[in-house]
Parts: sequence; C-alpha cells; structure tokens
Amino acid sequence: MPIIELKNLVKRYGSFKVLHGINLKMVENEFTVFVGPSGCGKSTTLRMIAGLETVTAGDITINGNSIINLEPKSRDLAMVFQDYALYPHMNVAKNMSFALRLQRAPKAEIKQKVEAVAETLGLTDFLHRKPGELSGGQRQRVAIGRALIRDSGTFLFDEPLSNLDAKLRGKMRAELALMHQRVNKNMIYVTHDQIEAMTLADRIVVMHGGHIQQHGSPQELFNEPCNKFVAGFLGSPPMNFLDGDVISKNGVVCVEGDGFIVAVSDEKGKALNEQKSKQITIGVRPSDLTYSEEKQALSNFALRVVVSEYIGTQSVLLTKCFTQDVSVELKSDQILPKNKILNFTALADKVHLFDRVTEIAI
Amino acid sequence: MAMQNKNTNPTFYLLMICLIVMSLGPILLMLATSFKTNVDVYDVSVGSFFFTPTIRNYESVLCNVLWYEPSHVDYCDPTFGRALGNSLFIAIISTGITLVLGTMAAYALVRFKFIGQSTVSMTTLLMRMVPPAVLLVPVFGIWTFQFGLDGTYAGIILIYTAMNLPFVIWILQSFIVQVPIQLEEAAKMDGAGSMQILFLVVMPIIKPGLAAAAIFTFRIVWNEFLLGNALLDRNTRTVPVTIVNSITEYDIDWGVIMATGMLLAIPPLIFTFLASKQIITGMTAGAVKG
Repeated sequence: MPIIELKNLVKRYGSFKVLHGINLKMVENEFTVFVGPSGCGKSTTLRMIAGLETVTAGDITINGNSIINLEPKSRDLAMVFQDYALYPHMNVAKNMSFALRLQRAPKAEIKQKVEAVAETLGLTDFLHRKPGELSGGQRQRVAIGRALIRDSGTFLFDEPLSNLDAKLRGKMRAELALMHQRVNKNMIYVTHDQIEAMTLADRIVVMHGGHIQQHGSPQELFNEPCNKFVAGFLGSPPMNFLDGDVISKNGVVCVEGDGFIVAVSDEKGKALNEQKSKQITIGVRPSDLTYSEEKQALSNFALRVVVSEYIGTQSVLLTKCFTQDVSVELKSDQILPKNKILNFTALADKVHLFDRVTEIAI
Repeated sequence: MAMQNKNTNPTFYLLMICLIVMSLGPILLMLATSFKTNVDVYDVSVGSFFFTPTIRNYESVLCNVLWYEPSHVDYCDPTFGRALGNSLFIAIISTGITLVLGTMAAYALVRFKFIGQSTVSMTTLLMRMVPPAVLLVPVFGIWTFQFGLDGTYAGIILIYTAMNLPFVIWILQSFIVQVPIQLEEAAKMDGAGSMQILFLVVMPIIKPGLAAAAIFTFRIVWNEFLLGNALLDRNTRTVPVTIVNSITEYDIDWGVIMATGMLLAIPPLIFTFLASKQIITGMTAGAVKG
C-alpha cells in the first residue's frame, strides 16, 4: 500500500495562512488520525491530499511521486465525507457503483462487487432504497461502502461519525476499527473527537493553529505530551493544570502553588534545575489523583469538592484547589463529603511539567 | 382555513365566479365556435352555445393527417397540419437546446470563480429587459441579409434560444446553488469529470428547476408570433403565424381558426402536465445531513 508523505505543506487563503508547513510521513497500512479543535487545518490537510484544495506551497508525495498536480481520480484515493454526500437520485446500489460505472467496468463485475461490499456492511436488504429512505447510520455505511468498492490504496475520512448519535457513533467506531484490520489499507481520518482518535489510531497527529503539535502512537501522546496543548486535548476528562513555582524542600525539587505541593521525579528535577524560568504549570490527569486520609508532605493537593458527577463505575469530582478548578476521577463507591477541604495525592512520575510561558513540556 | 368557514362572505363566491368566467369564458367560446359551421358563426340568431355541432372544422384542419378523406373538403390545404408539426419541432428543439446551454451556463456562473462573475450573472438578466419587438428589425436584417437564415428552422430556433436563455440561466442558478457542494466533491473523488458531474449528478438533482424552466420556455416559444411572422416562410410557419395569415381580405374562416386554436392549446397542456410531474419537492432528501 502506498506511502504518503507531506513535505512542508502550506495553504493560504488570500493573505490568511491556514497551514504553516506540515511535514509528515505516513507508513504502510497505518491508521492516521488528524485531531484538533475546529479551524486547526486538519480538514484542509485532508482535502489537499484528496485534491479538493489546491496546494499553496510544499509537496504531497505518494510512493515518492508528487501528486499535487493530479486530478483527484488519479490519486488512488477514496473518501468518506462528513455529511455522507450520497447522490439523492440514485439507490444504494447505484450510489456505491457510481465510480465503477464511470470507469465502464463490466456489469457482472459491478454487480458482484456491490453485493460483496453490501454483505460486509450489512446493506444487502437496502440496495434498492434511495438515501432519503435510510437512517443516519445506514447512510454513513453506504458512504463507506462507496469508498470500499473502489479498492483504492488509501481511504480518507472527513469526520465521518460526527453526525451520528452517541450510541451509533460508538458502534460505527468499532466497525471502522474492524474494517481497518480486515482491509489493511492506509486510512487517514480527521476528527475533532479525541476519543475517536485514541481508539482508532495507530498514529495520532495533533494539530493546532495550522501546525502539527505532536504525532505518535496514542500511548506516546497520552503519556508523554510534548506541550500543554496536546496534554489538555487528549484524555477525558481533560488534564488539570495548576500554576506553581519551583522550590527545594529538604533537598527534593518540588513545585508549590496555591493549595498544592508536589515533588517531581529526579529526572525532571534535573531538567527543572537547568531550566531558566522557575514559573511552572503542572499537569495532572484526573484519574491520577487519589484521596489520602493523611496529608502527604511531598505530594499533596488540598481540594474542596464542589460537584460530584456520577457516571457509573467512575465519578468525576469537580473541585477547587484554592481558586483553580481541578477535576478528580474516582471509583464511585468512594464517597467523599462536599465543601470540605480534603487531601489528595499523585505519584511523582504522573505529574507533567510545562513551562508557563512557552507551554512546552519539561 | 377561511374556506372551511360556513359563513363565508357571499361576495367571495361572487368574485370567484367572476374570475372563473373571465378565465374560462373565452376558451369555452372558442371551443363552441370551433364546432360551428361558418354560416352559423355569422348568423346572429344562432346562440353562442346552442347550435348543431359539427366536426367539419377539425376535419378541414387535419385533413392531410386523417386516415379518411372528409367528404366536405374539396381541396385539402396542408398548411395547418404542417404548421402544427413545425410548431412542435421548433418548440421542442429550442426548449432542449435552451435547457442544456442554460444549465451549463448557470453551473459555470455558480461554481466557477472568474473575473466578472457577478457582472455576467446580472447581464444575462439585463437581456430580458429588451422587448422582442425591439429585436425584430435588427434580427430580421441580420438573419436575412448576412446569414441567409430567414425561413429556416435553424434561424428561428437560434433566436428563440437566445431569447429564453437569460431567464433559464437565472432560474437554474438558484437551483444549482442549492446542490450541496459535497455531492460534487464526492463525484470528483469517484472519478467524474466536470461534464459528468454536471450531467450525472447536478442535472438529475435540479430536475424540478429544469421542469419549471422547460414549461416556461416551451410556452413562450409555442406562443411566439412577432419573430415567427417576420422570419418564417410558408413551409416553416408555426401555428400562431399560420392562423393570422389565414385571415385574408376575401375570407375569414372563424370555425377553422378556432379549431386550430383548440388544437394549438393541447400540446402545451400535455407538456406542462408531463413536466410538472417532475416538480416534486425534497429531491435532495438524504443527500447530506441537515
């Protein structure tokens, strides 16, 4: 399957620069997910790969050959659109076979392929229906079928699940993951939903403001975010950030702020000592905070529970650490009193440190 | 809802009846006259609607297409039958050309970015503001002396197409704007070229617009008299021109004229009926979310 490479890709609308030089290499059979808030340039990147947007500067190569001057149909890509984009005047079978019919493929072959794809997607009973007579999930499946039938080397997905309700989205997500295992092709997927990104991706590309912030496996990005943006974007509920200063207590490097003190690991302590700025933002994931009866000398968060959100097995406590908001994820059977200052603790290696000004991880 | 109110003002019904009489009256009168002999038409003592009907007028009009020879016709004048054929041919061909060109122009105006896009879009409408009578003299001169197109089907179809294009472009633009751009992008990804996108994706979706434009164009062309009268010769004349030309200083055969008029009304009725079946709402249902 093809290897797609983006080389210093730039997109400008008039004088407004949307993409500031994107460099990325997608290896074979990889499920790459572009994730980021709206307007970060992820869809634009995808549409440039698809050939629906022109490239202002830079290059896109497939297996080393530049494709930026090729028509979309010559790029060996298939695309699934956010709002399905099914042809309303054609039935499901015609919708899926449109590309094949344009290529003037033999009728028997078209029929056989349509039936095979419909079978895998569970659409066999709907082949003669018009898109208007299908539910959202079925329409999305037809859109995926239309891409599948083309047997392209690469699949592009532009937020394909964002129009479905929560339950269906979960189901389709699993189906997509299954499909990736089965068809073994390059998939490039754009979403603003970090859960989709985490669950589906082999590699996540986090974008913000037209730059790639970080890319790597979901585990890498979750455990070692390179900056405050990536740390805050991935994970649900999002990471807590607290401002503090570097101090030394009993020979241990600590970060102290209003209502908390936390010791840092030796490795990070060294890095902190080399750091010029002593103004630090610490990041702690809600699930890494645990309640402790005793006040721990070197890792203590004094939190006042304001609201407790029961989700099921887990509960999310919205708390105040002095004036800053902190959320804590706990097992639901651990019931804590509200409006009382309680002590929480976190393991030193679970605490992320960021420069407060540059927001880069230390 | 006012209709369901039992105490509706009687003047409402009076007004309705007036309107119905005004719109249907002339047609009924024409229908009645078409079944009268020429003698009855001029006879004051014969009522408008109470007389002995005859189909002689229709037989005279259609004498050269009928399977039998009407006994009362000594010389079969092929003019009316031929004129009907001409009218149908000219109207259908020019409607077809207008729609194809109009769709292509409207699509280009909506989807392609080029300098003067909005100016061109406005100018097409501006052309509508010139009355055909103003066009008549220059068109006659140019068609006759420069291109030798007078009396040909090509000449009249050309001017009818030119006349109707601006409005068709204008109507279709508003329909094309509503076609979701994602559909065209999807077609592009599926490997369709610009023309394939236009004819296989856009055109079927804007069917209601095409039907409306087709009805409009067909009827204008069908009823057009001024240009037809100036440009056509005896072999290519359309029905409206033929009718007027059959009024001579020696004889006005009202019965035959009315019968032709009735026959003239049938094709646009059928055409409108067929075309309006295409005007169904919700053509894009299920195409995209929302």
